[in-house]
Amino acid sequence: MKAYDYHKPHTVKEAIDIMGGLENAKYIAGGTDVMVLLRQGKINPANLVSLRNVAEISRIDTQNGIRIGAGVTHTQIANNEFIREHYSALADGAGVVGSKQIRNVATIGGNICNAAPSADTACPLLVLDAEAVIAGKSGERQVPVDDFIVGPSQVALEKGELVTGFVIPAFGDRTGSAYIKHARRLAMDLPILGIAVRATVKIGGAQAACRDAFKLTDVSDIVKRLEAEGLVLEDVRVAMSVVAPRPVRARKAEEAAKGKTISEKVLEELGEIAASESKPRDSFRGEAWYRRDMVKVLTKRALLKSIERMTGASSMVAPSRLW
Amino acid sequence: MENLLHVGKNVPRTAEIDKVTGHAVYIDEYKRPGMLYGKILYSQYAHARIKSINTEKAKKLPGVRAVITGYDIPDVRVGFLGDQTVLKRDIVRQFRDEVAAVAAITPEIAEDALKLIEVEYEPLPAIFDPIEAMKPDAALVHETDARGRPLRSNILPLPWKFSAGDVDKAREESTYVVKHDVTTPWINQCCMGTSGCVAEFDSNNNLTYCAQTNVIFGAKQRIATYLRNIGLKGKKIRVLNPVVGGSFGTKLDTDIYEFICIQLALKTRKPVKIRFTREEEFAALPPRQASRFTIEQGCDKEGKLTFRKVDAILDNGAYTSWGATTPSVMMLPISSMYRVPNVSFQATCVYTNNIYSQAMRGYGNPQAAFAVETSMDLLAEKAGIDPAEFRLINRNHPGDVTPMGLKITTCPLEECINTVKEKIKWDEKRGKKNGRGVGMASLIHVAGGARVYLSDGTGIRIKVNEDGEVDVLSGSTDQGQGSPTVIAQIIAEATGFRPEDVNIVFGDTALGLWDAGTHASRHTFVAGNAAVRAGELIKRQILELAVQHIPKLVKRSLKQQQKKNPDFVPPELDYTLIDSPDKLELKDRMIYPREAPDHPYFKTEVGKILTSGLHVGVGESKAVAAEVFWDPPTQMLNAEMKGNYSCTYAFGTAGVEVEVDKQTGEVKILKLVSAHDVGRAINPTLVKGQIYGAAYIGIGYGLTERVQVVDGKVVNANFRDYKILTANDNIPVEAVIIEDPDPAGPYGAKGIGEPGLVPTAPAIANAIYDAVGVWIKDLPITPEKVLAALKAQGQ
Ligand SMILES: Cc1cc2nc3c(=O)[nH]c(=O)nc-3n(C[C@H](O)[C@H](O)[C@H](O)COP(=O)(O)OP(=O)(O)OC[C@H]3O[C@@H](n4cnc5c(N)ncnc54)[C@H](O)[C@@H]3O)c2cc1C
Repeated sequence: MKAYDYHKPHTVKEAIDIMGGLENAKYIAGGTDVMVLLRQGKINPANLVSLRNVAEISRIDTQNGIRIGAGVTHTQIANNEFIREHYSALADGAGVVGSKQIRNVATIGGNICNAAPSADTACPLLVLDAEAVIAGKSGERQVPVDDFIVGPSQVALEKGELVTGFVIPAFGDRTGSAYIKHARRLAMDLPILGIAVRATVKIGGAQAACRDAFKLTDVSDIVKRLEAEGLVLEDVRVAMSVVAPRPVRARKAEEAAKGKTISEKVLEELGEIAASESKPRDSFRGEAWYRRDMVKVLTKRALLKSIERMTGASSMVAPSRLW
Repeated sequence: MENLLHVGKNVPRTAEIDKVTGHAVYIDEYKRPGMLYGKILYSQYAHARIKSINTEKAKKLPGVRAVITGYDIPDVRVGFLGDQTVLKRDIVRQFRDEVAAVAAITPEIAEDALKLIEVEYEPLPAIFDPIEAMKPDAALVHETDARGRPLRSNILPLPWKFSAGDVDKAREESTYVVKHDVTTPWINQCCMGTSGCVAEFDSNNNLTYCAQTNVIFGAKQRIATYLRNIGLKGKKIRVLNPVVGGSFGTKLDTDIYEFICIQLALKTRKPVKIRFTREEEFAALPPRQASRFTIEQGCDKEGKLTFRKVDAILDNGAYTSWGATTPSVMMLPISSMYRVPNVSFQATCVYTNNIYSQAMRGYGNPQAAFAVETSMDLLAEKAGIDPAEFRLINRNHPGDVTPMGLKITTCPLEECINTVKEKIKWDEKRGKKNGRGVGMASLIHVAGGARVYLSDGTGIRIKVNEDGEVDVLSGSTDQGQGSPTVIAQIIAEATGFRPEDVNIVFGDTALGLWDAGTHASRHTFVAGNAAVRAGELIKRQILELAVQHIPKLVKRSLKQQQKKNPDFVPPELDYTLIDSPDKLELKDRMIYPREAPDHPYFKTEVGKILTSGLHVGVGESKAVAAEVFWDPPTQMLNAEMKGNYSCTYAFGTAGVEVEVDKQTGEVKILKLVSAHDVGRAINPTLVKGQIYGAAYIGIGYGLTERVQVVDGKVVNANFRDYKILTANDNIPVEAVIIEDPDPAGPYGAKGIGEPGLVPTAPAIANAIYDAVGVWIKDLPITPEKVLAALKAQGQ
């Protein structure tokens, strides 16, 4: 590990200015990716520009949807009541990053800018139609997260630019979302696979009946009851991590879901299509066939979990479930 | 054995407060003036010829004090079979082969210097599959043996063959027979503190060596041999332990990096420290031996076992450390778990270009127990008998002599099995095949020493200072398992002092008497026995002093009172109450007559006697000290692999309830009950700590852990990819202590260091079968394997 200079700006403007005047420099937020890469010798910056003291990127603002500062930690997101209720998938994702110690310092901005194929907040942001707010010398611009993440460790940032935060639209009360991380242990683990789903639905019958469906123990009974109540999938987003060089949306599955009344068959199809869109590889961390299979299983589970949350059923004392 | 004051109590581990407050001196903190830091360059290939090594650039880097290769040091062989050299100079046979080493003024500079060393290799074909390597035409990993004689095969000349009774005849007579294969992976010991040492020579080339070894005298011996072989004959060697952050088997052998450190210290004439990074700990330290077994078992109509036949193949890797000797302990469960009259066992160790193995907690027992205990369930099912019942039918009994010659003394196996049955609600939960299931497995392990060397002995020295502080010089070591507390409790009990009076110095060959090592779950048993004996000598000495000095002190005090108060009338005292040591007792620092424990004049604080005995003025003063070297009446295995190599054996049973997610193949442990025969728990909290920790490692063995080796290379050399369980995976483990004091144990205690993890993995496999009807016989039981098996069954 080589020596480097450490810079501590207090505003976004100051940060951009400092960055503009430096060669071989890197932003550092929580440092939980940067320090690992440094120690492994994979990066060798002469300067680190810390974003820790930049208060303006560490806020959560809940007017017209939500704006989450890039410097907000995973712990802050996972514990935020508003996010837990309206953007559950993101709270799920932030809540399972690393360990408590990591979540206390690691930021959402760092997670997205590091652009790992396994980043736990990426799929949630994708299904929540989030946009990254980018600040640079020439001002501010906004890019959908889907376009912002380019590839492994690659994001659409020009030299000197930084992310100030993420904006997510409001979805109304017919929407629920969920993220399921499939890993080998409950802390300090990269997912074998991560699936996020957002579902905006229309209910032909009674919302209360839909909620009551989740009191049933058997999953196919739940789906049948929802079907009987005419629950229509108006708008669905599915995103998958680790099954491609970067977290990706399953657009064909999303398209296929549109306007369909929920049924076991529809769920099955959705899972199949999402799986067909995934391109997992065999690695020592997991086998491709298994990952593809899990896309199928977890897409269904994440969708049902989203609907459960939308109906308000998740606050009931429900039978313990697999999701 | 009633009225024990300290044994059996949950005495807190006060000696460990330094660890949690950061004051303890681990190898990281151990520093010597002028100390340099050593780093090692490893091979880039699994098998290659070294064409050239150029160290010129590295030597020129400012701060570098030495760069050595195999050409700079004597070409001396080391290791259990002498099949490797310290630095390899012609051929590398595995990725972790040590090719060069650097000493520099900082670890960073040493690391940078490694990058400047240029090695040119010519890759050679490598062999990674032991089955392939066993074939007659397979390429040889070693062309010659240690003495230069040509080798014709990759099979090691180690005669692991055991036979008792007539297996073939028994098979024919069996009503039910089952046969299956199991495989188990390499497992990293995952010590919290990584490996390291500091070597330092004085001007006379005498060596002070600070090392984490748990076999200080064995290490001293190996190093002496090495020094002699490199031309330093008759040099004095002192081996010291720093505070050690876990060993779990890693500190049993003297590793190559240790010899390298010694070479760097010799070369630079400075103290040199080598400390492993976590990546090195995974890639360059020998893990638990990987194995494959074929096991066949039979029983009669009533379910009585008739025979057991086991064949094992061990991937030895490129060199030989203790991993190749694990069959000596695999033999325990194979020959002696449950009553089985006819047994045959054969283990073949095969050289490959993989990493090599050594000891890990359980020493082969977990591998063999996985084979035996899954086979027990298969056979029970075939015979139509409940697996718990099947185990009870075949359980060991006190007084049994097993086919291997083990003499079973105490054996509460029945109680262990029944406790697990009850706590896991066996009868209610078993046999549902509804995604939830229960399984169990048992174990036998050495628990009363283990004669693996010609001596199974240990020494302890005790001296008592005049203020009543008890100094203990132990020849053993502490790796963090709590021995300072347990041995202090035993000594306090035996001497009549309190645990907080006892100060123990471990791990210094200059101070302690010889010890075979803190391994094989033997420390509490063997050192405890020595401690009881030494403690009794101390007590006797003090009571002898008391016979002399209590009357003296009492009379003096009476006289003084008379002087102060002329009216004082001295009482008539019966001095015959205290005229012999046998009439006195010493407990909790108080000496008193047995006949009159609360005697107002004779009851004396021990410190007064010690002071009085030492400062006599005129005459002969006395200091209290004693030492005992105790070698248990154990036997070494004979040529047929038979012998009673421990004084007593520990039994135990683990029961597991699992839930299997049939769509993902994930296994969740709902409950784990681990009931262990410990003879007597000297400190129940510490015993439970051993059981919890071992159970967690056992669960990792069952479900998540493996060192992944691809074409000879460790690919998951970090804690991100090596899936040891975390505190978040809070698995409900219930540790149950079964006490049946063993006559040979110190206050009845047996060893419990290793047993906890032995039955865990097979219990999990058996529970998964009960839950969803698939057998996974290949550890670890990953979701992929479970799901693939479910699919194969059409579920
Ligand atoms: C032990 C451990 C476990 C982990 N487990 C997980 C896990 O389970 N799931 C997971 O997804 N990740 C995990 N990580 C990775 C890491 O913690 C996350 O990616 C984290 O969110 C990174 O945030 P940070 O603030 O620490 O980023 P940093 O390390 O500070 O920065 C990461 C990258 O983002 C850039 N950057 C940071 N902020 C900005 C900004 N505002 N604008 C522009 N560029 C910026 C940096 O220059 C750097 O390239 C783990 C890491 C460790 C060490």
